[in-house]
Amino acid sequence: MRRNQADVIAAGAVATAGCVALYAHLPAAVIVVLGLGLFVAPGYVWSKVFLSASTRGLERVAVITGLALMVPVLGGLILYAAKIPLHRAAWVGLLAVVTLTGTMVALATQGRTDEPRGRREQAERRRRPTWHAVYFGVAAAIAAVAVGIAVYSANAQRYPGYTQLWLSPLRNNPVSASLGVTNQQGSTTQYRLVLLRKGRVSATWNLTLTDGQTWQHTVSFTDRYAIAADLYRLPDLSHPYRNVDNGE
Amino acid sequence: MTLIAALGVLVASAAYAAGRAGYASSSWADRAYWLGQALVLAPAAGRLLSRRRLTPTDTATLVVVLTVAEYLLKVCYSPAGFTFTDELLHWRSTVNILDTGKLFTVNYGLPISPRYPGLEEATSALISVTGLPVFAAGLIIAGTAHLLFICLLYLTYRCLSRSHRIAGIAILVYSCTPTLNSFDSMFVYETLALAFLGLAVLASWRTATGQSGGERARWFVLAVLAIFATVVTHHVTSYMLAGSLLLVTVASLLTRARRTALMVGALAVISVAAITCWVIYIAPGTLSYFRPTVEGLAQGISALQSGGSSGAASTSAAPRGNQVLEGAAILAITVLVPLGWWQVRKHHRHHPWILAMALGSLGWFVALALRVGTPDGQELAGRTATFVYIPVSLVAGLALIRLVNAALVRRWKSAAIGVAAAGMLVLLFDGLANGWPPYWERLPGPHQVAGFERSVGPEEIATAQWTLSALGPGGRFAADIGIYPLLAGYGDQNPLQDVGYLYTSATYTPAIAQAARAQAVQYVLVDQRLSQSLPASGTYFPGDTTAPNQPIPIADLTKFNRVRGVSRLYDSGDIVVYNLQGAQVAP
Repeated sequence: MRRNQADVIAAGAVATAGCVALYAHLPAAVIVVLGLGLFVAPGYVWSKVFLSASTRGLERVAVITGLALMVPVLGGLILYAAKIPLHRAAWVGLLAVVTLTGTMVALATQGRTDEPRGRREQAERRRRPTWHAVYFGVAAAIAAVAVGIAVYSANAQRYPGYTQLWLSPLRNNPVSASLGVTNQQGSTTQYRLVLLRKGRVSATWNLTLTDGQTWQHTVSFTDRYAIAADLYRLPDLSHPYRNVDNGE
Repeated sequence: MTLIAALGVLVASAAYAAGRAGYASSSWADRAYWLGQALVLAPAAGRLLSRRRLTPTDTATLVVVLTVAEYLLKVCYSPAGFTFTDELLHWRSTVNILDTGKLFTVNYGLPISPRYPGLEEATSALISVTGLPVFAAGLIIAGTAHLLFICLLYLTYRCLSRSHRIAGIAILVYSCTPTLNSFDSMFVYETLALAFLGLAVLASWRTATGQSGGERARWFVLAVLAIFATVVTHHVTSYMLAGSLLLVTVASLLTRARRTALMVGALAVISVAAITCWVIYIAPGTLSYFRPTVEGLAQGISALQSGGSSGAASTSAAPRGNQVLEGAAILAITVLVPLGWWQVRKHHRHHPWILAMALGSLGWFVALALRVGTPDGQELAGRTATFVYIPVSLVAGLALIRLVNAALVRRWKSAAIGVAAAGMLVLLFDGLANGWPPYWERLPGPHQVAGFERSVGPEEIATAQWTLSALGPGGRFAADIGIYPLLAGYGDQNPLQDVGYLYTSATYTPAIAQAARAQAVQYVLVDQRLSQSLPASGTYFPGDTTAPNQPIPIADLTKFNRVRGVSRLYDSGDIVVYNLQGAQVAP
């Protein structure tokens, strides 16, 4: 088997492995790697069909990438026209079918496009010095640190804390409403929530919510009389911290 | 070189981190950002312009390193999620495809975008096969497409000029495009379409110049596929592609390059036919989408012809340094383009593709006229720069290489290269300073009232997400310009333009109620911080044309509390959402 047949078959195998990985519940990292392989594989095998062996280097990589991006764009339209919902199975099937078809076409036509490498090309492909690889590795590590700093600083950025309070009629049942509180103050916070109907206290809840925690309750709702909810942030019980109402 | 560029990314990322830590307004953080950019740009510019011999691999590596470094800086600016308006809107279209499995779903914030679903299809496919979140998959697709476009542009320049050095310098000039490191590398449909445009152009070249019939046929098929992908992905890019192919056809006829005229002419016809079919059968809304732009353009031109004022807005209120950079860059390109034409006339007048580039570079002067002559000309010229710079860069590259190699400057080789590199840095820094983000959001930092990226924070995101979960999609919202894209993106709501009247009076009058009913406004989102400072972007509300000179009084914002029937649905402290639908206002 010639080398350039082996890589086409390998691309087909990667696509198949990508399909299997998605349905075999493998670890997420494995799925990401094989999924990326499945995404790129159609471009790789069809580049073997479209390009002659003399097309090398950056141009070949560019065409592979362009084809890989084109497959879901044009293939998605065909699936949609065939009334196939564009869910995971459809995308996986599309990429796998395009890859395997391309593999067969490439294997059938490769003799036509295969050309021996020239001496100059071979010279160009001589190994570059090891220190180039070391420099690129160090540069990639520095860039990774830069991105890491950005991610860390974005996650650590301080924003003023806040608390969400809402009273919104349920979409499918307008005589009920969702009354809820979410604590985003950055720490555990104690609240008192007072529900008022016609200006009188109808219910009271003392809430202790951890950061990010939501409390939610369904209450009966109408627009025939006033309903309001006042949220106090303890220990201050003199001024409502948040308030919502039904506008009556 | 790669190491220095990586250090530049690190320094600029540290400047961003300083901004987030509360030093966004400090001069040292700003200087650190520019130092980082200088470390990325200066060595690449110097190396590409120097007369020291570079191999084709070295040049290609420089081009890739420059592009990747700038893209990483874009990632470092918003590393936790999309923050730019259009990115949030494409996020929504992608999620809609993932949720429904259907194309062409409704996108209230950018109704035309679902009709050009290429970006969302590619991203949905990647998410489906890798399980990555939308943000990560979007960064991969946008980054790959951006790098692919630059590589294809470099390859095209290299094919046309038969010189990797000219191609490298042309890419350096193209890197000065103000939109390159923002709109053209963001998660927006143009980013992917540009990659397809690049592939279509390169494949067209190969179609016309292929050695054998079989090779030409294969490249022809590839070109047709790339044309279709461009048409499906972005309207303007597909028009520019068709225009470019037509221009090459005309230039081929002028130079009597029959095969090129035939092949590229056929591809031009195919692209025009594909665009026409797509607009008629799939995206008829494209015409109404462009109508305001075309009308504004026509009015501006008409006003100019009649000798009156076009009503063009003043160029910008940017700092003096930015304006100086902008002026110097415009002057430099305006000088380089005619010099490039001279080179084309002298050495390439029988080359149909380079002649087409020379003809295309006339667009530079059209863009300049648009800039000064039409309302919104500044923005329009900025957005067209992506395409105008493609021919301009090659023509300017031809001029630059001639200047650097000229016998006169050969005696002062180092000085000449130094001057050229310094000039190039001015162009590159102009592209960054006058590109995106605007100078007042150069570094990430605390919330800004009615801004862009810096108006996107946890409270705004949580509010947008609440609107979707509590109110369902498609609610007609009045909101300020800062939270507008989040409502359309994460909230899947329908935020409206021209809603300033709802916020700028102390009472909710019958006239306001009538106007709100006419606009079918359902909800009003009030950010009480609008009373604390002037809008960072110049206006508080989408569609506003006049800049306020004082913050909105708090009484104007809280008046809805006193209107019977207006329910106060949501309160997060800074942000309150009212339901206007039951408003009872006496006539």
